[in-house]
Amino acid sequence: MLKRLYDYAVLFKEYFLLALFLLLSTALLARNNSDQVRAIRSSTLAAAGVLQEVFGFVPAYFALRHENRVLRELNLTLSDEVNRLRESRLENIRLRQMLGLKERPAFPYISARVVGAQLQTGRNTLTIDAGERNGVRSAMPVVTDQGLAGKVIATSTGFSVVQTLMHKDSRVSARVQRSRVNGIIRWNAGRMLQLMHVPKTLDVQTGDMIITSEFSSIFPPGIRIGVVSATRQIPGELFQVVDVSPSVDFDRLEEVFVAAFTPDSSRIALQRRLQE
Amino acid sequence: MQRFFLTIGVSLLVLLAQTTLVPHLAIGTIIPDLLLIWIVYLGISRGHVPAMTAGFFLGLLMDTLAGDDGMLGLSSLTKTVAGFLAGYTFNENKILQILSGYQFLLILAAASLVHDLLYFLIFLQGADLAWNEAIVRYGLPTTLYTLAAALLPLFVFARRHRTP
Repeated sequence: MLKRLYDYAVLFKEYFLLALFLLLSTALLARNNSDQVRAIRSSTLAAAGVLQEVFGFVPAYFALRHENRVLRELNLTLSDEVNRLRESRLENIRLRQMLGLKERPAFPYISARVVGAQLQTGRNTLTIDAGERNGVRSAMPVVTDQGLAGKVIATSTGFSVVQTLMHKDSRVSARVQRSRVNGIIRWNAGRMLQLMHVPKTLDVQTGDMIITSEFSSIFPPGIRIGVVSATRQIPGELFQVVDVSPSVDFDRLEEVFVAAFTPDSSRIALQRRLQE
Repeated sequence: MQRFFLTIGVSLLVLLAQTTLVPHLAIGTIIPDLLLIWIVYLGISRGHVPAMTAGFFLGLLMDTLAGDDGMLGLSSLTKTVAGFLAGYTFNENKILQILSGYQFLLILAAASLVHDLLYFLIFLQGADLAWNEAIVRYGLPTTLYTLAAALLPLFVFARRHRTP
């Protein structure tokens, strides 16, 4: 009997193996949030991060000249902007004091290099060389000088994985800077983002800057997300379609900053209590 | 035994290239899938078992590198299926002939399309993105880019095939 079973297994080994691999994959898909799976991920991320870091210099070297030129130009623009912002900040402090408004908390930034990118059919994530030992934690926002890049979704000791805005699960509470219209930013499966849930009657125009709003419990307010590239009204729909061109050039990301932003715990507790 | 370790070594090298160098060849967010080319190659030249095994483990490693997105097991599943399909084309007497001709590209295109269809069917569960939109914007361009990347090994095999 056993011999016969064995003969069958050998004869149809490819089907048995297929069934085994499919079973294992399905079991893993079903157990994605368990501690064991998270531990395996963390160890693999650490090992792969080291390798990606070793090979990371190759493209960076070729892009160096272009990057230098861009940085010099940016430096000039930013120097000018810093001077103007310094003035505005002083003015802002004076006005806030006059009105009795609370100052927004400042938070430190952790710099990191992009050592790997996963552009695997819609799972657009980055691996950065800063991890738990640098103070990076899951759900921390990741920004560049151009604006919001995404958030941290996995960490190991020395590396982290960043879910970019170009990810199917990415959602960000956003606001039109000029008209203060609120919405949710999500990826549109292409090269653009979309500002969702904006009623047709509200004022959104091409060229408007989109920033993060105060409604988010993950992202600090006021970070640039992108610029409205087009608005469309679809008959019969309640909301307008707002296409947003992201500020961050995801094709050329080399340096990012993780904002050590921890949302107000009392606010989250209150929101949870209300939801319950 | 030597062939077994060589396969593991090449698999790891392809994985390394896919995660470090290939993202810099991206056209927008579209990149060629070198792992799939390797899995299909294994399917054509060695049959079901090596192709499925490579597909499963390479897919698993790719899933692990994608971060905690709740999809560990997705690439291992789709790449196992792709390896299984490619394994059907294994013919010991025609390996080089298939690898050096248009058949290689046809098999790769078919495996890539099935891989992407299955991938998006599971990946987009619960998301408010349209499945057909994802296939048009991601699946087809990825397949085309992968086919373009496969031209390089195809030329190498064609040359070897022609050399007596």
